[in-house]
Amino acid sequence: MILDVNAYLGPFAFRALRRDDAPGLLSRMDAKGIDRAAVSSALAITYRNVQPANERLAADVRGRDDRFIPIAVLNPAYAGWEDDLRACRDLGFRGLRIYPKWHGYSLSDPACLDLVDAATEAGMPITIPIRVEDVRNQALLTDVAEVPLAEIAALVAARPKARFVLLNGVGFINGPLGRAGALPDNYLIEISRPTSIPTDEVGRLLTALGPGRLAFGTGMPFQYPDIALLKLELLRASDADKARITWGNAAAWLGLGG
Amino acid sequence: MTQRPIGEAPSRRAFLARSAALAATARLAAASTGAEDPPAPKSLVIDCHAHLHHHSSPSWEASDEALVAAAERVGIDRLCCSILTPKRPATADGFRECNGWVLDAMRRHDGRVLGYCYVNPGAGAEAVDEVKRRVGDEGFVGVKLYNERFCDDPIVFPVIEAAIELGAVILHHAGHVHHPLPGQPFISDGGRLATLARRYPEAKLICGHLCGGGDWEWTIKALRHAPTVYLDTSGSVPDDGVVEAAVAALGVDRLLFGCDLSRTTGVARLRAAEISDEDRAKILGGNMARLLEGVRR
Repeated sequence: MILDVNAYLGPFAFRALRRDDAPGLLSRMDAKGIDRAAVSSALAITYRNVQPANERLAADVRGRDDRFIPIAVLNPAYAGWEDDLRACRDLGFRGLRIYPKWHGYSLSDPACLDLVDAATEAGMPITIPIRVEDVRNQALLTDVAEVPLAEIAALVAARPKARFVLLNGVGFINGPLGRAGALPDNYLIEISRPTSIPTDEVGRLLTALGPGRLAFGTGMPFQYPDIALLKLELLRASDADKARITWGNAAAWLGLGG
Repeated sequence: MTQRPIGEAPSRRAFLARSAALAATARLAAASTGAEDPPAPKSLVIDCHAHLHHHSSPSWEASDEALVAAAERVGIDRLCCSILTPKRPATADGFRECNGWVLDAMRRHDGRVLGYCYVNPGAGAEAVDEVKRRVGDEGFVGVKLYNERFCDDPIVFPVIEAAIELGAVILHHAGHVHHPLPGQPFISDGGRLATLARRYPEAKLICGHLCGGGDWEWTIKALRHAPTVYLDTSGSVPDDGVVEAAVAALGVDRLLFGCDLSRTTGVARLRAAEISDEDRAKILGGNMARLLEGVRR
Protein backbone atom coordinates (compact mmCIF):
# COMPACT_ATOMS: atom_id res chain seq x y z
CA MET A 1 0.00 0.00 0.00
CA ILE A 2 1.29 3.44 -0.93
CA LEU A 3 -0.05 6.71 0.39
CA ASP A 4 1.22 9.87 -1.31
CA VAL A 5 1.23 12.70 1.25
CA ASN A 6 2.33 15.31 -1.29
CA ALA A 7 -0.12 15.62 -4.20
CA TYR A 8 -2.07 18.44 -5.80
CA LEU A 9 -4.82 19.27 -8.22
CA GLY A 10 -4.12 22.13 -10.60
CA PRO A 11 -3.94 24.40 -12.30
CA PHE A 12 -0.91 26.29 -11.03
CA ALA A 13 -0.50 29.98 -11.81
CA PHE A 14 3.02 29.94 -13.23
CA ARG A 15 3.42 26.73 -15.20
CA ALA A 16 1.22 24.34 -17.11
CA LEU A 17 0.97 21.05 -15.26
CA ARG A 18 0.17 17.75 -16.95
CA ARG A 19 -2.82 15.72 -15.86
CA ASP A 20 -3.61 18.14 -13.07
CA ASP A 21 -7.29 17.28 -12.71
CA ALA A 22 -8.72 14.47 -10.61
CA PRO A 23 -9.01 11.90 -13.44
CA GLY A 24 -5.52 12.78 -14.61
CA LEU A 25 -4.01 12.36 -11.19
CA LEU A 26 -5.86 9.10 -10.71
CA SER A 27 -4.49 7.76 -13.96
CA ARG A 28 -0.98 8.68 -12.85
CA MET A 29 -1.51 7.05 -9.44
CA ASP A 30 -2.74 3.88 -11.12
CA ALA A 31 0.24 3.81 -13.45
CA LYS A 32 2.67 4.16 -10.56
CA GLY A 33 0.96 1.86 -8.07
CA ILE A 34 -0.06 4.59 -5.66
CA ASP A 35 -3.21 3.73 -3.74
CA ARG A 36 -4.18 6.99 -2.14
CA ALA A 37 -3.11 10.61 -2.23
CA ALA A 38 -3.47 13.58 0.10
CA VAL A 39 -4.36 16.35 -2.32
CA SER A 40 -4.65 20.11 -2.02
CA SER A 41 -5.38 22.86 -4.49
CA ALA A 42 -2.47 24.35 -6.42
CA LEU A 43 -4.68 27.32 -7.27
CA ALA A 44 -4.90 28.17 -3.59
CA ILE A 45 -1.18 28.86 -3.50
CA THR A 46 -1.69 32.12 -5.38
CA TYR A 47 -5.30 32.98 -4.60
CA ARG A 48 -5.72 35.85 -2.16
CA ASN A 49 -8.87 34.24 -0.77
CA VAL A 50 -8.09 30.54 -0.68
CA GLN A 51 -11.53 29.21 0.18
CA PRO A 52 -13.00 29.06 -3.35
CA ALA A 53 -10.03 26.89 -4.32
CA ASN A 54 -10.71 24.56 -1.40
CA GLU A 55 -14.37 24.33 -2.39
CA ARG A 56 -13.42 23.54 -5.97
CA LEU A 57 -11.08 20.79 -4.81
CA ALA A 58 -13.78 19.33 -2.59
CA ALA A 59 -16.06 19.14 -5.58
CA ASP A 60 -13.35 17.63 -7.77
CA VAL A 61 -12.62 14.75 -5.38
CA ARG A 62 -16.22 14.11 -4.32
CA GLY A 63 -17.10 10.44 -4.62
CA ARG A 64 -13.45 9.38 -4.73
CA ASP A 65 -12.71 9.17 -1.03
CA ASP A 66 -11.39 5.70 -1.68
CA ARG A 67 -8.40 7.36 -3.42
CA PHE A 68 -8.18 11.03 -2.42
CA ILE A 69 -7.76 12.58 1.02
CA PRO A 70 -8.63 16.27 0.69
CA ILE A 71 -6.23 18.70 2.34
CA ALA A 72 -7.30 22.32 2.86
CA VAL A 73 -5.06 25.27 2.14
CA LEU A 74 -5.64 27.93 4.76
CA ASN A 75 -4.13 31.37 5.24
CA PRO A 76 -4.11 32.63 8.82
CA ALA A 77 -3.16 36.11 7.66
CA TYR A 78 -6.43 36.46 5.76
CA ALA A 79 -9.76 37.45 7.22
CA GLY A 80 -12.14 34.69 8.16
CA TRP A 81 -9.76 31.72 8.29
CA GLU A 82 -11.66 30.38 11.30
CA ASP A 83 -14.84 30.24 9.19
CA ASP A 84 -12.90 28.62 6.36
CA LEU A 85 -11.53 25.96 8.69
CA ARG A 86 -15.02 25.09 9.92
CA ALA A 87 -16.30 24.97 6.36
CA CYS A 88 -13.45 22.72 5.31
CA ARG A 89 -14.10 20.33 8.16
CA ASP A 90 -17.74 20.16 7.06
CA LEU A 91 -16.57 19.45 3.51
CA GLY A 92 -14.54 16.47 4.70
CA PHE A 93 -11.02 17.87 4.61
CA ARG A 94 -8.68 15.76 6.72
CA GLY A 95 -5.63 17.98 7.03
CA LEU A 96 -4.17 21.42 6.32
CA ARG A 97 -1.50 22.75 3.99
CA ILE A 98 0.04 26.12 4.75
CA TYR A 99 2.26 28.43 2.67
CA PRO A 100 3.76 31.05 5.01
CA LYS A 101 6.12 32.51 2.41
CA TRP A 102 3.55 32.65 -0.40
CA HIS A 103 0.87 34.09 1.87
CA GLY A 104 3.12 36.48 3.74
CA TYR A 105 3.27 35.49 7.38
CA SER A 106 5.69 33.87 9.78
CA LEU A 107 5.23 30.51 11.41
CA SER A 108 5.66 32.26 14.74
CA ASP A 109 2.88 34.80 14.13
CA PRO A 110 0.10 34.53 16.71
CA ALA A 111 -2.49 33.96 13.98
CA CYS A 112 -0.48 31.05 12.58
CA LEU A 113 -0.15 29.52 16.03
CA ASP A 114 -3.91 29.94 16.48
CA LEU A 115 -4.49 28.08 13.21
CA VAL A 116 -2.12 25.30 14.26
CA ASP A 117 -3.93 25.00 17.60
CA ALA A 118 -7.34 24.92 15.92
CA ALA A 119 -6.20 22.25 13.47
CA THR A 120 -4.73 20.20 16.30
CA GLU A 121 -7.98 20.48 18.22
CA ALA A 122 -9.76 19.20 15.11
CA GLY A 123 -7.33 16.29 14.72
CA MET A 124 -5.95 17.60 11.43
CA PRO A 125 -2.26 17.19 10.56
CA ILE A 126 -0.58 20.29 9.15
CA THR A 127 1.47 19.82 6.01
CA ILE A 128 4.10 22.45 5.18
CA PRO A 129 5.67 22.57 1.70
CA ILE A 130 9.15 24.01 2.18
CA ARG A 131 8.91 25.20 -1.41
CA VAL A 132 6.51 25.00 -4.33
CA GLU A 133 9.12 25.02 -7.08
CA ASP A 134 12.85 25.55 -7.30
CA VAL A 135 13.65 29.20 -6.60
CA ARG A 136 15.74 29.34 -9.78
CA ASN A 137 12.64 28.60 -11.84
CA GLN A 138 10.48 31.35 -10.41
CA ALA A 139 8.79 33.83 -12.69
CA LEU A 140 9.56 37.53 -12.68
CA LEU A 141 6.50 38.25 -10.57
CA THR A 142 7.46 35.81 -7.84
CA ASP A 143 10.48 35.80 -5.59
CA VAL A 144 9.34 33.51 -2.82
CA ALA A 145 11.91 32.05 -0.48
CA GLU A 146 11.83 28.56 0.93
CA VAL A 147 10.47 28.16 4.45
CA PRO A 148 13.57 28.11 6.69
CA LEU A 149 13.96 24.82 8.50
CA ALA A 150 14.88 26.75 11.64
CA GLU A 151 11.39 28.33 11.67
CA ILE A 152 9.82 24.91 11.31
CA ALA A 153 11.96 23.52 14.10
CA ALA A 154 10.81 26.36 16.34
CA LEU A 155 7.18 25.67 15.45
CA VAL A 156 7.31 21.93 16.12
CA ALA A 157 8.97 22.68 19.45
CA ALA A 158 6.36 25.30 20.32
CA ARG A 159 3.41 23.05 19.49
CA PRO A 160 4.33 19.50 20.59
CA LYS A 161 0.74 18.25 20.38
CA ALA A 162 0.34 19.27 16.76
CA ARG A 163 1.28 16.91 13.92
CA PHE A 164 3.33 18.26 11.03
CA VAL A 165 4.26 16.74 7.69
CA LEU A 166 7.20 18.50 6.03
CA LEU A 167 7.07 18.41 2.23
CA ASN A 168 9.57 19.30 -0.50
CA GLY A 169 12.38 19.99 1.92
CA VAL A 170 16.06 19.08 2.06
CA GLY A 171 18.88 19.46 4.53
CA PHE A 172 17.01 18.23 7.58
CA ILE A 173 19.95 16.05 8.53
CA ASN A 174 22.09 19.11 9.17
CA GLY A 175 19.88 20.51 11.92
CA PRO A 176 17.68 19.62 14.87
CA LEU A 177 14.90 18.26 12.64
CA GLY A 178 17.28 15.45 11.68
CA ARG A 179 18.48 14.62 15.20
CA ALA A 180 16.69 12.18 17.45
CA GLY A 181 15.58 13.74 20.70
CA ALA A 182 16.31 17.30 19.68
CA LEU A 183 12.63 18.07 19.11
CA PRO A 184 9.26 16.47 19.83
CA ASP A 185 8.50 13.52 17.55
CA ASN A 186 5.49 15.33 16.12
CA TYR A 187 6.62 15.61 12.51
CA LEU A 188 7.12 13.42 9.47
CA ILE A 189 9.62 14.19 6.73
CA GLU A 190 8.48 13.48 3.17
CA ILE A 191 11.19 11.88 1.02
CA SER A 192 10.83 13.30 -2.50
CA ARG A 193 13.52 15.98 -2.09
CA PRO A 194 16.11 14.78 0.44
CA THR A 195 19.03 13.24 -1.39
CA SER A 196 19.39 9.56 -2.13
CA ILE A 197 22.64 7.95 -3.21
CA PRO A 198 25.46 8.73 -2.86
CA THR A 199 25.01 11.32 -0.09
CA ASP A 200 21.80 9.59 1.05
CA GLU A 201 20.00 12.02 3.31
CA VAL A 202 16.96 9.73 3.25
CA GLY A 203 18.99 6.83 4.60
CA ARG A 204 20.68 8.97 7.21
CA LEU A 205 17.32 10.33 8.38
CA LEU A 206 16.06 6.79 8.68
CA THR A 207 19.06 5.90 10.81
CA ALA A 208 18.88 9.04 12.92
CA LEU A 209 15.15 9.26 13.51
CA GLY A 210 13.88 5.73 12.96
CA PRO A 211 11.29 4.39 10.53
CA GLY A 212 8.41 6.16 12.22
CA ARG A 213 9.46 9.60 11.05
CA LEU A 214 9.47 9.43 7.25
CA ALA A 215 6.60 9.53 4.77
CA PHE A 216 6.30 8.88 1.07
CA GLY A 217 5.27 11.71 -1.24
CA THR A 218 5.66 12.45 -4.92
CA GLY A 219 4.79 16.10 -5.50
CA MET A 220 2.55 15.15 -8.42
CA PRO A 221 1.69 16.79 -10.73
CA PHE A 222 4.49 19.30 -10.13
CA GLN A 223 7.12 16.58 -9.96
CA TYR A 224 7.90 13.28 -11.62
CA PRO A 225 6.59 10.62 -9.20
CA ASP A 226 9.42 8.28 -10.15
CA ILE A 227 11.91 10.38 -8.20
CA ALA A 228 10.37 9.47 -4.85
CA LEU A 229 9.72 5.93 -6.04
CA LEU A 230 13.37 5.45 -6.98
CA LYS A 231 14.53 6.89 -3.66
CA LEU A 232 12.29 4.41 -1.91
CA GLU A 233 13.64 1.59 -4.08
CA LEU A 234 17.24 2.53 -3.28
CA LEU A 235 16.66 2.97 0.44
CA ARG A 236 18.29 0.20 2.42
CA ALA A 237 15.47 -0.67 4.80
CA SER A 238 13.37 -3.67 5.75
CA ASP A 239 10.02 -4.25 4.11
CA ALA A 240 8.38 -3.48 7.43
CA ASP A 241 10.14 -0.14 7.70
CA LYS A 242 9.28 0.71 4.10
CA ALA A 243 5.66 -0.10 4.80
CA ARG A 244 5.66 2.43 7.60
CA ILE A 245 7.13 5.02 5.25
CA THR A 246 4.77 4.34 2.37
CA TRP A 247 1.64 3.93 4.43
CA GLY A 248 1.63 3.40 8.17
CA ASN A 249 3.07 6.62 9.52
CA ALA A 250 0.95 9.07 7.57
CA ALA A 251 -2.12 6.83 7.40
CA ALA A 252 -2.32 6.77 11.18
CA TRP A 253 -2.27 10.54 11.34
CA LEU A 254 -4.92 10.85 8.65
CA GLY A 255 -7.15 8.25 10.30
CA LEU A 256 -6.94 5.81 7.41
CA GLY A 257 -6.09 2.69 9.35
CA GLY A 258 -4.72 -0.27 7.49
CA MET B 1 31.69 32.01 -39.67
CA THR B 2 35.36 32.32 -38.93
CA GLN B 3 37.55 29.39 -38.27
CA ARG B 4 41.24 29.07 -38.33
CA PRO B 5 43.15 25.82 -38.37
CA ILE B 6 44.82 25.40 -35.06
CA GLY B 7 46.56 22.75 -33.15
CA GLU B 8 48.32 19.64 -34.07
CA ALA B 9 46.77 16.36 -35.07
CA PRO B 10 45.58 14.43 -32.04
CA SER B 11 48.06 11.85 -30.97
CA ARG B 12 47.92 8.07 -31.25
CA ARG B 13 48.22 7.97 -27.45
CA ALA B 14 44.96 9.91 -27.05
CA PHE B 15 43.27 7.65 -29.55
CA LEU B 16 44.29 4.58 -27.58
CA ALA B 17 43.17 6.10 -24.30
CA ARG B 18 39.69 6.81 -25.61
CA SER B 19 39.42 3.49 -27.40
CA ALA B 20 40.29 1.66 -24.20
CA ALA B 21 37.61 3.60 -22.36
CA LEU B 22 34.95 2.73 -24.92
CA ALA B 23 35.95 -0.91 -24.91
CA ALA B 24 35.92 -1.08 -21.13
CA THR B 25 32.41 0.30 -21.04
CA ALA B 26 31.20 -2.12 -23.67
CA ARG B 27 32.66 -5.02 -21.67
CA LEU B 28 30.93 -3.80 -18.55
CA ALA B 29 27.59 -3.56 -20.32
CA ALA B 30 28.05 -7.01 -21.79
CA ALA B 31 28.81 -8.42 -18.36
CA SER B 32 25.68 -6.87 -16.91
CA THR B 33 23.44 -8.34 -19.60
CA GLY B 34 25.16 -11.68 -19.93
CA ALA B 35 25.42 -11.20 -23.65
CA GLU B 36 28.26 -12.90 -25.47
CA ASP B 37 28.87 -9.98 -27.77
CA PRO B 38 29.26 -6.44 -26.50
CA PRO B 39 26.10 -4.45 -27.22
CA ALA B 40 26.09 -1.57 -29.61
CA PRO B 41 27.23 1.71 -28.07
CA LYS B 42 23.69 3.08 -28.16
CA SER B 43 22.74 0.72 -25.35
CA LEU B 44 25.22 2.25 -22.93
CA VAL B 45 24.11 4.62 -20.23
CA ILE B 46 26.39 7.64 -20.27
CA ASP B 47 26.11 10.47 -17.77
CA CYS B 48 27.35 13.40 -19.84
CA HIS B 49 27.49 15.82 -16.90
CA ALA B 50 29.25 14.70 -13.76
CA HIS B 51 31.77 16.16 -11.36
CA LEU B 52 34.50 14.64 -9.29
CA HIS B 53 35.58 16.35 -6.11
CA HIS B 54 38.28 18.97 -5.70
CA HIS B 55 41.18 17.65 -3.70
CA SER B 56 41.03 20.49 -1.21
CA SER B 57 38.20 18.50 0.33
CA PRO B 58 39.68 16.02 2.82
CA SER B 59 37.05 13.47 1.79
CA TRP B 60 37.56 13.80 -1.96
CA GLU B 61 38.72 10.24 -2.49
CA ALA B 62 35.85 8.65 -0.55
CA SER B 63 33.39 11.00 -2.25
CA ASP B 64 34.70 10.06 -5.68
CA GLU B 65 34.47 6.37 -4.88
CA ALA B 66 30.94 6.82 -3.57
CA LEU B 67 29.98 8.65 -6.75
CA VAL B 68 31.28 5.87 -8.97
CA ALA B 69 29.59 3.21 -6.83
CA ALA B 70 26.30 5.11 -6.87
CA ALA B 71 26.46 5.41 -10.63
CA GLU B 72 26.97 1.68 -10.95
CA ARG B 73 24.06 1.00 -8.62
CA VAL B 74 21.64 2.97 -10.78
CA GLY B 75 22.93 1.52 -14.03
CA ILE B 76 25.20 4.25 -15.32
CA ASP B 77 28.02 2.77 -17.39
CA ARG B 78 30.11 5.84 -17.84
CA LEU B 79 30.61 9.20 -16.14
CA CYS B 80 31.87 12.19 -18.10
CA CYS B 81 33.55 14.21 -15.38
CA SER B 82 35.22 17.50 -14.70
CA ILE B 83 36.63 19.07 -11.56
CA LEU B 84 36.10 22.78 -11.07
CA THR B 85 38.16 25.13 -8.95
CA PRO B 86 36.36 26.12 -5.73
CA LYS B 87 36.94 29.79 -6.48
CA ARG B 88 36.37 31.32 -9.86
CA PRO B 89 37.47 32.76 -12.18
CA ALA B 90 39.92 29.92 -12.29
CA THR B 91 43.59 30.61 -12.70
CA ALA B 92 45.54 28.62 -15.29
CA ASP B 93 47.37 26.83 -12.49
CA GLY B 94 44.05 26.09 -10.87
CA PHE B 95 42.40 24.48 -13.89
CA ARG B 96 45.55 22.58 -14.83
CA GLU B 97 45.63 21.09 -11.34
CA CYS B 98 41.97 20.06 -11.61
CA ASN B 99 42.51 18.45 -14.98
CA GLY B 100 45.48 16.50 -13.64
CA TRP B 101 43.24 15.00 -10.98
CA VAL B 102 40.66 14.10 -13.62
CA LEU B 103 43.36 12.29 -15.56
CA ASP B 104 44.27 10.35 -12.41
CA ALA B 105 40.61 9.36 -12.01
CA MET B 106 40.35 8.28 -15.64
CA ARG B 107 43.24 5.90 -15.05
CA ARG B 108 42.02 4.77 -11.63
CA HIS B 109 38.55 3.87 -12.85
CA ASP B 110 39.56 2.04 -16.00
CA GLY B 111 37.22 3.46 -18.59
CA ARG B 112 34.27 4.21 -16.35
CA VAL B 113 35.35 7.84 -15.97
CA LEU B 114 35.89 10.03 -19.01
CA GLY B 115 37.41 13.44 -18.69
CA TYR B 116 36.36 16.95 -19.55
CA CYS B 117 39.15 19.48 -19.65
CA TYR B 118 38.01 22.49 -17.62
CA VAL B 119 39.46 25.85 -18.61
CA ASN B 120 38.77 29.52 -18.05
CA PRO B 121 38.85 31.04 -21.55
CA GLY B 122 40.08 34.26 -20.01
CA ALA B 123 43.45 32.58 -19.59
CA GLY B 124 43.96 32.94 -23.34
CA ALA B 125 46.73 30.84 -24.85
CA GLU B 126 47.15 28.89 -21.63
CA ALA B 127 43.55 27.71 -21.91
CA VAL B 128 43.99 26.70 -25.53
CA ASP B 129 47.23 24.88 -24.79
CA GLU B 130 45.56 23.01 -21.94
CA VAL B 131 42.75 21.83 -24.24
CA LYS B 132 45.25 20.65 -26.85
CA ARG B 133 47.26 18.78 -24.25
CA ARG B 134 44.41 17.09 -22.42
CA VAL B 135 42.23 16.20 -25.40
CA GLY B 136 44.94 15.78 -28.00
CA ASP B 137 47.48 13.90 -25.91
CA GLU B 138 45.79 12.48 -22.84
CA GLY B 139 42.45 11.16 -24.03
CA PHE B 140 40.02 13.68 -22.58
CA VAL B 141 36.77 13.67 -24.55
CA GLY B 142 35.75 17.27 -24.20
CA VAL B 143 36.00 20.73 -22.77
CA LYS B 144 34.10 22.04 -19.77
CA LEU B 145 33.34 25.75 -19.71
CA TYR B 146 31.77 27.37 -16.69
CA ASN B 147 30.63 30.91 -15.99
CA GLU B 148 33.80 32.96 -16.17
CA ARG B 149 32.79 34.40 -19.53
CA PHE B 150 29.68 34.54 -21.64
CA CYS B 151 30.02 31.81 -24.23
CA ASP B 152 29.65 34.29 -27.10
CA ASP B 153 32.40 36.57 -25.81
CA PRO B 154 35.13 36.62 -28.50
CA ILE B 155 37.73 35.70 -25.87
CA VAL B 156 36.10 32.25 -25.79
CA PHE B 157 36.42 31.67 -29.52
CA PRO B 158 40.00 30.28 -29.57
CA VAL B 159 38.94 27.58 -27.08
CA ILE B 160 35.93 26.70 -29.22
CA GLU B 161 38.12 26.52 -32.30
CA ALA B 162 40.61 24.25 -30.53
CA ALA B 163 37.78 21.94 -29.50
CA ILE B 164 36.45 21.87 -33.06
CA GLU B 165 39.90 20.99 -34.38
CA LEU B 166 40.10 18.09 -31.95
CA GLY B 167 36.50 17.00 -32.46
CA ALA B 168 35.94 17.49 -28.74
CA VAL B 169 32.61 17.93 -27.03
CA ILE B 170 32.02 21.28 -25.30
CA LEU B 171 29.86 21.12 -22.18
CA HIS B 172 28.84 24.62 -21.17
CA HIS B 173 27.38 25.57 -17.79
CA ALA B 174 24.14 27.40 -18.53
CA GLY B 175 21.01 28.79 -17.00
CA HIS B 176 18.27 31.33 -17.51
CA VAL B 177 16.71 32.85 -14.42
CA HIS B 178 14.31 35.74 -14.00
CA HIS B 179 16.01 36.99 -10.86
CA PRO B 180 19.75 37.73 -10.80
CA LEU B 181 21.98 34.89 -9.68
CA PRO B 182 24.45 36.26 -7.13
CA GLY B 183 27.97 35.38 -8.10
CA GLN B 184 27.16 34.40 -11.69
CA PRO B 185 27.05 37.66 -13.67
CA PHE B 186 28.42 35.95 -16.78
CA ILE B 187 26.34 32.81 -16.84
CA SER B 188 25.41 31.84 -20.39
CA ASP B 189 21.96 30.66 -21.37
CA GLY B 190 20.38 28.80 -24.25
CA GLY B 191 20.08 32.00 -26.26
CA ARG B 192 23.79 32.74 -26.05
CA LEU B 193 24.65 29.15 -26.90
CA ALA B 194 22.41 29.43 -29.95
CA THR B 195 24.32 32.55 -30.94
CA LEU B 196 27.63 30.73 -30.51
CA ALA B 197 26.32 27.80 -32.55
CA ARG B 198 25.43 30.07 -35.44
CA ARG B 199 29.05 31.23 -35.49
CA TYR B 200 30.44 27.71 -35.09
CA PRO B 201 27.90 25.22 -36.46
CA GLU B 202 30.50 22.45 -36.44
CA ALA B 203 31.08 22.78 -32.69
CA LYS B 204 29.71 19.97 -30.53
CA LEU B 205 28.01 22.22 -28.01
CA ILE B 206 26.11 20.92 -25.02
CA CYS B 207 23.93 23.33 -23.08
CA GLY B 208 24.33 22.20 -19.50
CA HIS B 209 21.76 21.07 -16.95
CA LEU B 210 18.31 21.80 -18.30
CA CYS B 211 16.98 20.84 -14.87
CA GLY B 212 19.40 22.96 -12.90
CA GLY B 213 19.46 26.08 -15.00
CA GLY B 214 16.37 28.02 -14.05
CA ASP B 215 13.40 28.40 -16.39
CA TRP B 216 13.68 25.23 -18.47
CA GLU B 217 10.77 26.15 -20.70
CA TRP B 218 12.69 29.29 -21.72
CA THR B 219 15.82 27.26 -22.42
CA ILE B 220 14.01 24.75 -24.59
CA LYS B 221 12.38 27.50 -26.64
CA ALA B 222 15.67 29.39 -26.99
CA LEU B 223 17.36 26.31 -28.46
CA ARG B 224 14.58 25.30 -30.81
CA HIS B 225 16.20 26.86 -33.84
CA ALA B 226 19.79 26.02 -32.93
CA PRO B 227 19.92 22.52 -34.40
CA THR B 228 23.58 21.88 -33.60
CA VAL B 229 23.26 22.50 -29.87
CA TYR B 230 22.67 19.50 -27.62
CA LEU B 231 20.91 19.83 -24.30
CA ASP B 232 21.67 17.80 -21.21
CA THR B 233 18.86 16.86 -18.85
CA SER B 234 20.83 17.04 -15.61
CA GLY B 235 20.05 18.92 -12.45
CA SER B 236 18.13 18.70 -9.22
CA VAL B 237 14.84 20.24 -10.37
CA PRO B 238 12.20 17.47 -10.20
CA ASP B 239 9.63 19.10 -12.50
CA ASP B 240 7.29 16.75 -14.27
CA GLY B 241 7.18 16.82 -18.06
CA VAL B 242 10.52 18.44 -18.78
CA VAL B 243 11.95 15.57 -20.85
CA GLU B 244 8.80 15.18 -22.90
CA ALA B 245 8.72 18.94 -23.55
CA ALA B 246 12.32 18.90 -24.72
CA VAL B 247 11.72 15.93 -26.99
CA ALA B 248 8.67 17.61 -28.51
CA ALA B 249 10.47 20.89 -29.20
CA LEU B 250 14.00 19.79 -30.07
CA GLY B 251 13.70 16.18 -31.15
CA VAL B 252 15.14 13.23 -29.30
CA ASP B 253 18.49 13.25 -31.09
CA ARG B 254 19.62 16.47 -29.39
CA LEU B 255 19.07 15.35 -25.82
CA LEU B 256 21.71 13.86 -23.54
CA PHE B 257 21.27 12.18 -20.20
CA GLY B 258 23.11 13.71 -17.28
CA CYS B 259 22.87 14.01 -13.52
CA ASP B 260 25.29 16.76 -12.45
CA LEU B 261 25.04 16.53 -8.65
CA SER B 262 21.67 14.74 -8.52
CA ARG B 263 22.16 11.15 -9.51
CA THR B 264 18.85 9.65 -8.35
CA THR B 265 16.75 12.49 -9.69
CA GLY B 266 18.62 12.40 -12.98
CA VAL B 267 18.00 8.70 -13.45
CA ALA B 268 14.39 8.83 -12.26
CA ARG B 269 13.62 11.65 -14.68
CA LEU B 270 14.53 9.43 -17.61
CA ARG B 271 12.79 6.45 -16.08
CA ALA B 272 9.62 8.53 -15.78
CA ALA B 273 9.62 10.16 -19.19
CA GLU B 274 6.75 9.03 -21.38
CA ILE B 275 8.76 8.30 -24.49
CA SER B 276 9.54 5.18 -26.44
CA ASP B 277 12.24 2.81 -25.22
CA GLU B 278 14.16 3.54 -28.39
CA ASP B 279 14.10 7.27 -27.67
CA ARG B 280 15.01 6.67 -24.03
CA ALA B 281 18.05 4.67 -25.11
CA LYS B 282 19.15 7.49 -27.37
CA ILE B 283 18.97 10.01 -24.55
CA LEU B 284 20.52 7.69 -21.98
CA GLY B 285 23.59 7.09 -24.04
CA GLY B 286 23.17 6.60 -27.75
CA ASN B 287 23.39 10.26 -28.62
CA MET B 288 26.40 10.86 -26.40
CA ALA B 289 28.13 7.73 -27.68
CA ARG B 290 27.77 9.12 -31.17
CA LEU B 291 29.35 12.39 -30.08
CA LEU B 292 32.20 10.62 -28.31
CA GLU B 293 32.96 8.43 -31.27
CA GLY B 294 33.35 11.60 -33.26
CA VAL B 295 36.23 12.82 -31.12
CA ARG B 296 39.09 12.96 -33.57
CA ARG B 297 41.72 10.33 -32.93
